[in-house]
Amino acid sequence: MLKALRHIWMVVVLAGVSLAQASPAAQRFGGAETRPKRIVSLVPAVTEMIYAMGDGGRVAAVSNYDHFPADVARLPRVGGLLDPSVERILAIKPDLVIVYATQKDLIERLDRAGIPYFNYQHKALPDILTTIRAIGARIGSTARADAVASGMERALEEIRGRTAALAHPATLLVFERDPASLRNVFASGGYGFLHDMLEIAGGRNVFANVRQQAVQASTEMLIASRPDVIIELLYGDSLKNADIAKELRAWDALPSVPAVRSHRISALTGDEFVVPGPRVVDATRKLARTLHPDAFK
Amino acid sequence: MPLIRRRLAATLLGFGLLLAAALVTGPLIGSTHISLARVFDGAIPFADNADAQIFFIARLPRVLAAALVGASLAAAGVVFQALLRNPLATPDTLGVSSGAALGAMLAITFHFNFAFAGIASIPLASFVGSIGALGIVYALASARRRGLSTIVLLLAGVTMTAFFQALILFTQYLADFADTFRTVRWLMGTLDVGSYAPILAALPIVLVAFAMLATLPRSLDLISLGTDAAAARGVNVLAAERLALASASLATGAAVSLAGPVGFIGLVVPHLVRLIVGSDHRLVLPASALFGAAFLIACDALARTIWSSGELPVGIVTALIGGPFFLWLLVRK
Amino acid sequence: MLKADGVSFAYRAGATLVVNDVSLVIAPGELVGILGPNGSGKTTLLKMLAGTLTPSAGTIQFDRRPLSSWRRRDLARRIALVPQETHAPFDFTVLDIVLMGRFPHLGTFALEGPDDLAIAKQALASTGAWAFEDRPFATLSGGEKQRVVIASALAQSPELLLLDEPTTSLDLGHQLDVQLLLAALNHDRGVTMVLSTHDLNLAAALCRHLILLRAGRVVAQGPTEDVLTPETVRALYGVDADVRRHPVAGHLTVTPLARMP
Repeated sequence: MLKALRHIWMVVVLAGVSLAQASPAAQRFGGAETRPKRIVSLVPAVTEMIYAMGDGGRVAAVSNYDHFPADVARLPRVGGLLDPSVERILAIKPDLVIVYATQKDLIERLDRAGIPYFNYQHKALPDILTTIRAIGARIGSTARADAVASGMERALEEIRGRTAALAHPATLLVFERDPASLRNVFASGGYGFLHDMLEIAGGRNVFANVRQQAVQASTEMLIASRPDVIIELLYGDSLKNADIAKELRAWDALPSVPAVRSHRISALTGDEFVVPGPRVVDATRKLARTLHPDAFK
Repeated sequence: MPLIRRRLAATLLGFGLLLAAALVTGPLIGSTHISLARVFDGAIPFADNADAQIFFIARLPRVLAAALVGASLAAAGVVFQALLRNPLATPDTLGVSSGAALGAMLAITFHFNFAFAGIASIPLASFVGSIGALGIVYALASARRRGLSTIVLLLAGVTMTAFFQALILFTQYLADFADTFRTVRWLMGTLDVGSYAPILAALPIVLVAFAMLATLPRSLDLISLGTDAAAARGVNVLAAERLALASASLATGAAVSLAGPVGFIGLVVPHLVRLIVGSDHRLVLPASALFGAAFLIACDALARTIWSSGELPVGIVTALIGGPFFLWLLVRK
Repeated sequence: MLKADGVSFAYRAGATLVVNDVSLVIAPGELVGILGPNGSGKTTLLKMLAGTLTPSAGTIQFDRRPLSSWRRRDLARRIALVPQETHAPFDFTVLDIVLMGRFPHLGTFALEGPDDLAIAKQALASTGAWAFEDRPFATLSGGEKQRVVIASALAQSPELLLLDEPTTSLDLGHQLDVQLLLAALNHDRGVTMVLSTHDLNLAAALCRHLILLRAGRVVAQGPTEDVLTPETVRALYGVDADVRRHPVAGHLTVTPLARMP
């Protein structure tokens, strides 16, 4: 299950990468339906947002990759980013479908079927809050959405405040690499919600100057970036601690890296790191605790 | 026209120097600035010496891998072209590359997790795939008649390539998103091996392949004019063809397992070399190996430095150079 | 020199015999023609004589030893084969091609030396192709290519030259060139020759002995005068022809007159 979350992350990255081609955020209001009751959500992040607003009861179906909150387990599935099942979506008879902006085929079909949809685009952390408010407006829960968003803003500000005065260590945030080796390392670039979380949590992204969400780091780049801390976002079907420790030893191949010398390499597991929704606050807090253990007991 | 002896000596010397120059300058090039003095400063413990680590862990293995892969693919290209009597043949023509790609794809998608003799699953599966493809193509080509029919070989190769490509697409379809992304990246080819282990694993195979190739050049000359004429001149045509097929496939398989399918080396390098030394395979084969190595080192250096926010896969650089070069070749003929 | 006894060939066991129970003797210095229509097995027979195809039945002996007992390279030093067509997929020069004829004398790793170069140049001179030495083989005309390939065979310093349809794809002028060249090589240098052809007049003009082949079988063999008659022409080609000595050229000529029903 957790492995599938890595899937989501790639989805999220690539959805963001295709930013340039996506049409501007479009929302289609179907007639007077401003309080949709049968919502189909293909975007796990938005599913979580809707539940956070307390409107989970109005969600009729979710994507194959939705796992939070636990209630979604009993809901029917309709596919994902690459393979949405138009048939199943239509069978639900939805009055609002949450789609990725890049799912052009699906959007076309929904248009033809006359079904309203909400166009989701993934960008950086501030956009999460914007999206929460936008979704709230769309489904007629403006006040509750605002409450959720404001709560998140306050929580993030609190974390930022605590780390502001501390020294921000140079951090390498890795979210993907070949198992048991340092080939094909993908780290967070200077853009995107991973980067934003890292900065709030009190870390200085070694690839902050790269204007991309994902950086494929070669061996030379890894050595030259000289991180003081390496954080790996690891997924795997119930990775045991012993396995995690073994995986992290791959970094021993580069002994000159400060993080390796001072043994400041950590693995974080958990789906809150791949779903840019309300749980980014938890994710940010975990990052902050890893970077500044004394300040975040 | 100077005798073959002098030409061979001059060729080996010239291209040998070129390769030596590439080997020496390759590790000096990179996206980070390092100080050679620090690299070789024995006083600094290796674990603390970032410059030395960049030189010896990041760059030198890449350069050596580039040399090995470039030499293997170029030599394999020469041999396949002679075997198929066609200057447009490449190591991909007979399906060996596609077999290797399929092996890697399966390993990535189904998360093979075995290692054998210190070799990780992806390169291992890739190599097995290449040898499997060779076996099938060879069996098809020798099935019907005595000897190895070149036409059947070609058809079998083209068919197997198409079949493997279909299997590759199917595997990608089954794969989850991240794995598909990984396989697409693998298909672009990369030399960032990060350690000497993969090189040492591929080296024995390449050496064996080269030892087999060493006896072939003159036979290849004669065979390229026609198998009857070659046989009448004393060439053991069947043995030579088998040896050519096996050695070129081994070299290709090892190269693709190490770095993924890097395209155009097997096509462009022999052509360039023939423009310089003529068509005698006793010159073309060694020269292509040497030049292929130097060429790929240069392409990899370019791949590492040309892109400001990271590194290009080397397969993209070879394609960007090879494609237009090839177009130019076609136009001028 | 070369003796074939009851030689037959089929491409697969049980398939039709392409060559059927052929026996012949080639004496040193002879200029022999294997004459027959297309598909009569001439090329296959020639390849067996060269040792590149193994007979399905019968034996061939060269210098009183079975062909199969000869080492490939030793045989190639004595017998050279000129195939019907030579296509160079790579940019070999004429000299490159001719030097390849030295292979049986050199082996896998030996490189040609000055002696080999001299032999190659002499071979080119004797075929009148010395002017093309550095030209790419692929740019030559059919006739020029044929002369180069013959030179390449001569560079093998063979005692016996086997030629498969040496003039078939050439125009009249080049046909005559090759014909005169072969006659001279045989007459002046004593090179024994066996050539296959379906051109009756070439065979009559050039060869002193003929072996007439039809559907893989020998119809007649012996001196040209004895063997080339209207009866044998009829048996071979199904054509009524006039065979007579040409008053100017001095050799037999065959003129087809009518198709037999």
